[in-house]
Amino acid sequence: MTILEAASALRARKVSSAELTEAALARTARLNPRLNAMQTVLEESARARSRQADAELAHGADLGPLHGIPVAVKDVFCTKGVRTMCGSVLFQDHVPDRDAAVVEKLAAAGAVLVAKTTMHELAYGITSNNPHFGAVRNPWNTDCIPGGSSGGSGSAVAADLVFLAMGTDTGGSIRIPAAFCGTVGLKPTFGRVSRFGVLPLDFSLDHMGPLARSVRDAGVVLNAIAGYDSRDDTSSRTPVEDYVPAAEPSIRGLRIGMPENFYFEHCHPEVERAVRSMFDRAAALGAEVAPVRVPDIAALNAVGRVILLAEASAVMEPYLNQRDRFGADVLALLDQGRLLAATDYVNAQRLRRIMQREFRRLWERVDCLFTPAAPVPAPRIGQMTVQVGGAEEDVRLASTRLVRGVNVLGLPALALPCGMAEGLPASVQIIGKPFSEALILRVGQALMPGEIQVPALN
Amino acid sequence: MKDWKKIASGNGLNIPEPDLDRIVPALDGLEAVFRPLAAKLPADVEPAVIFRAEEGAE
Repeated sequence: MTILEAASALRARKVSSAELTEAALARTARLNPRLNAMQTVLEESARARSRQADAELAHGADLGPLHGIPVAVKDVFCTKGVRTMCGSVLFQDHVPDRDAAVVEKLAAAGAVLVAKTTMHELAYGITSNNPHFGAVRNPWNTDCIPGGSSGGSGSAVAADLVFLAMGTDTGGSIRIPAAFCGTVGLKPTFGRVSRFGVLPLDFSLDHMGPLARSVRDAGVVLNAIAGYDSRDDTSSRTPVEDYVPAAEPSIRGLRIGMPENFYFEHCHPEVERAVRSMFDRAAALGAEVAPVRVPDIAALNAVGRVILLAEASAVMEPYLNQRDRFGADVLALLDQGRLLAATDYVNAQRLRRIMQREFRRLWERVDCLFTPAAPVPAPRIGQMTVQVGGAEEDVRLASTRLVRGVNVLGLPALALPCGMAEGLPASVQIIGKPFSEALILRVGQALMPGEIQVPALN
Repeated sequence: MKDWKKIASGNGLNIPEPDLDRIVPALDGLEAVFRPLAAKLPADVEPAVIFRAEEGAE
């Protein structure tokens, strides 16, 4: 069931928010010991909020489609009075005195917060194999990673624990778990959703967005959370739109870019086949598929890595005298950032400008790009390298290779299930120009009008 | 290639030797891609950093 279907059932009195919430809590109690998707379950407050939602709806105080819907947020979003650890023992006693902007907006839309999701330590990695709180597991195969850093959010939505889970994305951390777990994942344009109250990893690359069961649900969530926030210096005043696409939208005449270079060069053949089938589907729906050469994405990724390494190490520097409180992979990245020169950071931010201009020219020729969201299906927990395109590649670098550049440019991107590879989900990434969320959601809805497939976990 | 161990030592970073051994290949790999890009930067390109003087006056 999707958010929109549940919202309809709530208004028809076929189900209550209390029942939806009890179902979410019961399924979480049953499956979370296997998945470790939820870091903190908020049973008492969720039950109270769901009863309140039922009373409000009964009295005609309708806050919209999220009213009474059980949701979760990654444990990087500050929640007033509820511990927010960011997957780190450094913050194990951190109880914020205010909500993040996204949490405020979800509450204002009537959503019922049932849990905070488990994540990669400090949101700095893609496995969600957390050294302090255990490995999050992929519902499609619990020996596999769910991706990260929003791994608990991907696992929770894929396993049908909640209708929606919020994630953050600094170098692919919404789209990678969406791809590996077979959910919809939306990374909006930089500045579209407020970063206020989110423990930062990287000031200029962090994005907030939903992992959801359908494209329209992702639009429902973006409607609730998008908009200017004076508390976030990078928040945009660009007007918001209605992001929920029609059930059967037209994409006739839209120009879909099919990259000739980079994106399909080192890709699992089953993933490639699944993603390429989306070009055929788009063409069958009347879109114009145009082969394009994209700017140098390897260079863009290098620029992104320099910016991320430098900014994340700057954020975490006060804690780096406590080396034994970090996991080895995160510590290695933080050490790398400390060794970069200040000139390299500044030059990476200058190169970012040049690449932004190069991509601007691309958007004159196409409305969006289709690429794989990840070149391989979910690796196994503990796996360090993957074989792809005849070469061995580090799991982190392979997983971020096709998504990191989008963060550097701040572009909106949607990850969407498009088939299977080795029995695991494969995912297409739809990338658009800045603030074209409505368009990429429309394209996504045309490609996948239904909801995600839920793996058998019983 | 840069001598990352000397840079760490020179900056007083106190990163243990085995940890440095582990990160040097990653830094060398990044350097190999990034250095040629930075070398070609035109002088008039400004960085994409955020600072708005007018907002400080609000």
